[in-house]
Amino acid sequence: MTQTFDLSGRTEAPLRADEVTALRGFLDYQRDTFRWKCAGLTQDQLARTHPPSTVTLGGMMKHLALNEAGWFGTTLAGTPHPPPFDAVDWDADPDWEWRTAAADSPEQLRALYDDCVRRADASIDDALARGGLDTQSVGQSSDGGAFSLRWILLHLIEEYARHNGHADLIRESIDGVTGE
Amino acid sequence: MLRSFLTYHRETLRLKCAGLTQEQLAQPLPPSDMTLGGMMKHLALVESSWFEEVFAGGSYLPPFDTVDWDADFDWDWHSAADDSPEELRALFDEAVRRADAVIDDALSRGGLEQESVQKSRRVDSTFSLRRILVHMIEEYARHNGHADLIRESIDGQTGE
Repeated sequence: MTQTFDLSGRTEAPLRADEVTALRGFLDYQRDTFRWKCAGLTQDQLARTHPPSTVTLGGMMKHLALNEAGWFGTTLAGTPHPPPFDAVDWDADPDWEWRTAAADSPEQLRALYDDCVRRADASIDDALARGGLDTQSVGQSSDGGAFSLRWILLHLIEEYARHNGHADLIRESIDGVTGE
Repeated sequence: MLRSFLTYHRETLRLKCAGLTQEQLAQPLPPSDMTLGGMMKHLALVESSWFEEVFAGGSYLPPFDTVDWDADFDWDWHSAADDSPEELRALFDEAVRRADAVIDDALSRGGLEQESVQKSRRVDSTFSLRRILVHMIEEYARHNGHADLIRESIDGQTGE
């Protein structure tokens, strides 16, 4: 099966720009790449693995939605997780988002993901207005230090890029679609 | 901060490729034809290309300087199967060493806003050193994502 995707809307990171524009440009590029890798697939395809790995694209959508909410909401701004993540017993089920994605429709996964990205962007806007990229997080790391917004943005860029690497191979195994 | 993220991903790639034979480094995870050996050689080329050629305006690290790229655009990926693990690792380490020398030199003269000598092939603009460093982090992280699944398929090893 071949399918044409419209990549014209994907944000390219600027070649020369101030630091905020550059980091947000890279993050948006990775988010759009991820949306593209998941686009046009059925619920069944989103639940498929590329053995021996157990990772799925649907699970990854839910996982990255949680990452957006966790880093930019909970850690950076101190806001609680949005639904449905707020009601999960994470101690009992630490991989809940990966495990439960197979029961969600593509539309549900995409809506949850988009909502978490929208909330994350609002939180980034707010932090930038307060103190720029040096803004310190409300939440602390396990060794007791705060994270700067700069560090969190870079971490999310690498987190996405790594998962997009997984997504490249999984998507190719589902329907042969490849591309950067 | 950018350099520590880059170092982390270079180390992750070394870890994902460590302890494998030449045959294992040439083993793909079908249907993709990517291999870990090809990835080491590709990232050596990417280091040399971005830092030595584009940013500093120099030439590619050997053996990349004498390759007929028109004849085989993916020579770095294809030719890696003929190289021993030691050869691949030495080439990768040399490319990283030379890239770091370029970065050190640039940072001794100024900041991350410094512009590349070469312009983009697609648009009429140079690249800032910051842009190149962040791009290298995403380039490595994406390939380390590939490496995660390929390594797991070779010997079951996983981990960040």
